[in-house]
Amino acid sequence: MDIRVLQPSDIPHVQLTNITNLPENYFLKYYLYHALSWPQLSYVAVDLSHTKPGEPPKIVGYVLAKMEEEPADGVQHGHITSLSVMRTHRRLGLAEKLMRQSQKAMVEAFAAKYVSLHVRVSNKAALHLYRDTLQFEVDKVEEKYYADGENAYSMRKDLSFLEEPESDESEGEETEDVNIDGDVPKEKGEKKRSVKVGRPLGVQDLQEVDGRVA
Amino acid sequence: MPQAPLTAKDASQFRQVLKCYETKQFKKGLKAAEQILKKNPKHGETLAMKGLITNSLGRTAEAFTIAKEALRQDMKSHVCWHVYGLLYRSEKNFEESIKAYKMALRFEPESQQILRDLALLQIQMRDYQGYIESRRQILQGRPQLRQNWTGLAIAHHLAGNYVDAENVLTKFEETLKNPPVKTDVEHSEAGLYKNMVIAESGDTERALENLESIAKASLDKVAVLEKRAEYLLKLGKMETAQAAYRVLIERNAEKRVYYVGLEQALELKEDDTQKRKELYAEFAEKYPRSDAPRRVPLDFLGGDEFKAAADEYLQKLLKKGVPSTFANIKALYANPTKRQTIFKLVEGYYASLENETPQIIETPTNGETNGDVTKTTKPSEFKLWSMYFLGQHYDHYRTRDTEKALKFINEATALSPETVELHMTLARIHKHAGNLQKAMEKMDEARLLDIKDRYINTKCAKYQLRNDHNEDALKTMGLFTRVRTGPSPFQRFLQLLTLTNNMQIDALGGPLGDLLEMQCVWFITEDGESYLRQGKLGLALKRFHAIWKIFDDWTEDQFDFHSFSLRKGQIRSYVDMLRWEDTLRAHPFFSRAALGAVKAYTMLFDKPHLAHSSLSNGHGTEGVDFEGLSTADRKKVLKKAKREAQKAQERAVEAAAKAKEEKAKNAQVTNVDDEKKKEDTDPFGSELAQTKEPLEAAVKFLGPLLELSSKNVDVQCAGFEVYLRRRKWLLALKCLRAAKELDPENPVLHEQIVKFRTAVGKISDEDIKAPSKEVLTSTLEEIIPADTNLEEYNAKFMERHKDSAKHVRGALRTRYFLKPSDAPLTNLLDTLSLDSLTLKDAIGGQLLLRELKATDEHIKDYNQKAANRFPDAAAFGGKVE
Repeated sequence: MDIRVLQPSDIPHVQLTNITNLPENYFLKYYLYHALSWPQLSYVAVDLSHTKPGEPPKIVGYVLAKMEEEPADGVQHGHITSLSVMRTHRRLGLAEKLMRQSQKAMVEAFAAKYVSLHVRVSNKAALHLYRDTLQFEVDKVEEKYYADGENAYSMRKDLSFLEEPESDESEGEETEDVNIDGDVPKEKGEKKRSVKVGRPLGVQDLQEVDGRVA
Repeated sequence: MPQAPLTAKDASQFRQVLKCYETKQFKKGLKAAEQILKKNPKHGETLAMKGLITNSLGRTAEAFTIAKEALRQDMKSHVCWHVYGLLYRSEKNFEESIKAYKMALRFEPESQQILRDLALLQIQMRDYQGYIESRRQILQGRPQLRQNWTGLAIAHHLAGNYVDAENVLTKFEETLKNPPVKTDVEHSEAGLYKNMVIAESGDTERALENLESIAKASLDKVAVLEKRAEYLLKLGKMETAQAAYRVLIERNAEKRVYYVGLEQALELKEDDTQKRKELYAEFAEKYPRSDAPRRVPLDFLGGDEFKAAADEYLQKLLKKGVPSTFANIKALYANPTKRQTIFKLVEGYYASLENETPQIIETPTNGETNGDVTKTTKPSEFKLWSMYFLGQHYDHYRTRDTEKALKFINEATALSPETVELHMTLARIHKHAGNLQKAMEKMDEARLLDIKDRYINTKCAKYQLRNDHNEDALKTMGLFTRVRTGPSPFQRFLQLLTLTNNMQIDALGGPLGDLLEMQCVWFITEDGESYLRQGKLGLALKRFHAIWKIFDDWTEDQFDFHSFSLRKGQIRSYVDMLRWEDTLRAHPFFSRAALGAVKAYTMLFDKPHLAHSSLSNGHGTEGVDFEGLSTADRKKVLKKAKREAQKAQERAVEAAAKAKEEKAKNAQVTNVDDEKKKEDTDPFGSELAQTKEPLEAAVKFLGPLLELSSKNVDVQCAGFEVYLRRRKWLLALKCLRAAKELDPENPVLHEQIVKFRTAVGKISDEDIKAPSKEVLTSTLEEIIPADTNLEEYNAKFMERHKDSAKHVRGALRTRYFLKPSDAPLTNLLDTLSLDSLTLKDAIGGQLLLRELKATDEHIKDYNQKAANRFPDAAAFGGKVE
């Protein structure tokens, strides 16, 4: 089973895996939205032996991840939109491997400080994975988060352990830049704006049916 | 004819109209526009806006009339032309829309808004030259925006102008006085995009150089590492390449191409098993939790080394209780020795564990306080999953022994009754044995063991569809679709009336509506194929058209990203997306449904009465024997069927209207889009099936197939059937030739060659022009000479392939075509003794007998013999419980 970053051409099979396994489903466009906004963050597990040459690869698991566009707490962080592995491919540790790759990329590419997710309170297997294997912590319970009325645990995990110590050189560059501009607040304003771009930018009709937009 | 400007008051009112449109306050906007028009009835731009708003309210035809009137009043207004373009765009008529935008630009050449709208359509239509021009003008208008530079670069890149693309990107970089901050995603991506352009231009050396210069500032670390390793390898810098691949494996030990790259960088030969083995052993030790370094060697090791490695691998997984162990290794089953070794190993595990002492589990009986416990036993993981493995082994098509498979799975289930996987596999074994009914029932039992798991629910629905229980399947799916509250009071009312059945309710939404909306391709396709099997061609076509629609939506989905991605700055994945969209319909999800549609339409051309499912036999057992009837009776029956269909249709439409009314009553705000979506005046697809032009409809599906899946022999054969019926001789020939190239001995192709030879012999001169006829004759001569004795030709084919049931069937069908009276079916009976015979073959033979109008006696003989070979297969009247 290969673990690699998700490509647009994988999406029909990712969508198939999702609707086979989970009640929260999305339009193809919503997957595209992830793949084209944060292409480094979503990963797939591929069954190579079942893939015929010239045919799209068979996806047996995926993690669909994003950056929170307007973080309420103002802290850059990632969010797991959806994660699933085919029942026939459980206990191979695929979910964990997918998550670890995604988390690393969140920190590297988008300077995420932590990653959050929602899980059904009744989903013991997923809870075990997140809490015990991946060391997520329950942040709070969100009442009636799912369309069928079930509550969700809102979980999060600090990612600072993945931050690479910065080399002197690169630090210098940044400081220099800020100094020359002499306009730190504006810098921050700029950044904030670039965080916001998702919604008003024309990808309309993006919905998470059932899962609600977190 | 320039128009007089509006008064200041009206002009302000006009701005109000624009604002209303932008904020989607359509009704208010319309009112405002009409107020202006009261005083200035001929004001073109106001008319145009009125048209635009009317369109947004869902009244498209009216909108076009108004917009045309606007243009008549003010031909030189860019607003009028722009609106005209927007209307066409909303109708997806992009070509006309482009024309209108270009007119608008003529009167307002500097307008960024119009240029942008035009550019979007050009890229959507892949008009690269036009796109370059528009992007150039946009850049000239606003050179301060980075995205405008990137946009022009993309245009050049896609058109294949690598140098221009790179130059544009470099030019912008040079305008940057200071390097942007490290966290600037757009900057990081632009750098990597430029690197992609350089690499695609073929200059790997410079690509590497460029990559080294931007590596530190790039945020996409994986891409940098991967590209670097790739370039180094390509340039033969083996030592650095080795290091680069090692870093990648360190990051992600589960990506095979990294190992392949490393092997190449180490210049390991494929047969240097020892060195390769050592390499993987090194990584296996370094990364104890990774699968790849343990699994890959099983592909290249042989003999005792294979046995030792397989032993270690299998034990590790089975002891851990990994249900997918068999799935993980079954690719090795293509090799008979490896297959046998693996089997012997697992059989050995089982033999050593057969009499293990089971673990005893104590669970408190009544709560936790009184100390009473219930004792149950549990096998070790190793034993349980070894048995599961052996069950799967005996169910694998290369090593199938249904009885043994059932034995292992049933015994394992007795030891661990709650394990869902065992029940699932049990169902699968029954499916493979040909007992679809039992398979379906067993899968439902599996489902009930874990009703909250959608995976098992999905499998259950799939098995129901395979058994043509379409409504049950939909009910099963409905347990997880959005509306889980059951039918609404109104739907229940309909059910009570028995006027309706479930399908009508689904047409109003319900689970099917949700599955369609959520693009659940697998279900829609399987449902369509099931209806095709049952001869319900209308419903089959309905589903296949739904897939067509989903792919249309997927094509359209890219539209918003043309602007979105430029602003987001993730250019590489945007380009990946465009390239994928270019060949979207090459996807097997599309070709499968499209082939189904082509088949249904071809059947309808041959036998139009099949449009009425009551007159079609489906599997061949039920229904009226339409072809056995006299002409007069046929007319009568056909008329009745038409009447029934008409009634059903009316009921459905009526029900839909009522439901809509109901909905309108309940919902205060009705969304125009929603309304449009929900209306379905042909829920059974009977209009589709009753088309007067089935072949033209088939050609629509065939187009993308022949363009994008031309290497699929089934596609070429399907194309041939359609073109032959349309008397498009050269196109039919083209398919024939392509098929011959792909698979010269294909049995369907064989039959088609003979048919074509016969048909061509009968073409009259009016039917084909002289030059075409020449091409036809000479090309066909290469495939099959005109003087061929077709019966002999066919007999030789049969002799050549007497060991393949599929080919024997093809030859028999051909013989029947050449000489219907002569149908000695002993050959078909003989195929039932072939070692290579599959259940699918046996059923194919049974269908062929009916097709060839074999006697009941013949069919009985065949079924008896087939039942001996496949005792559990329901098709031959075996042990059906």
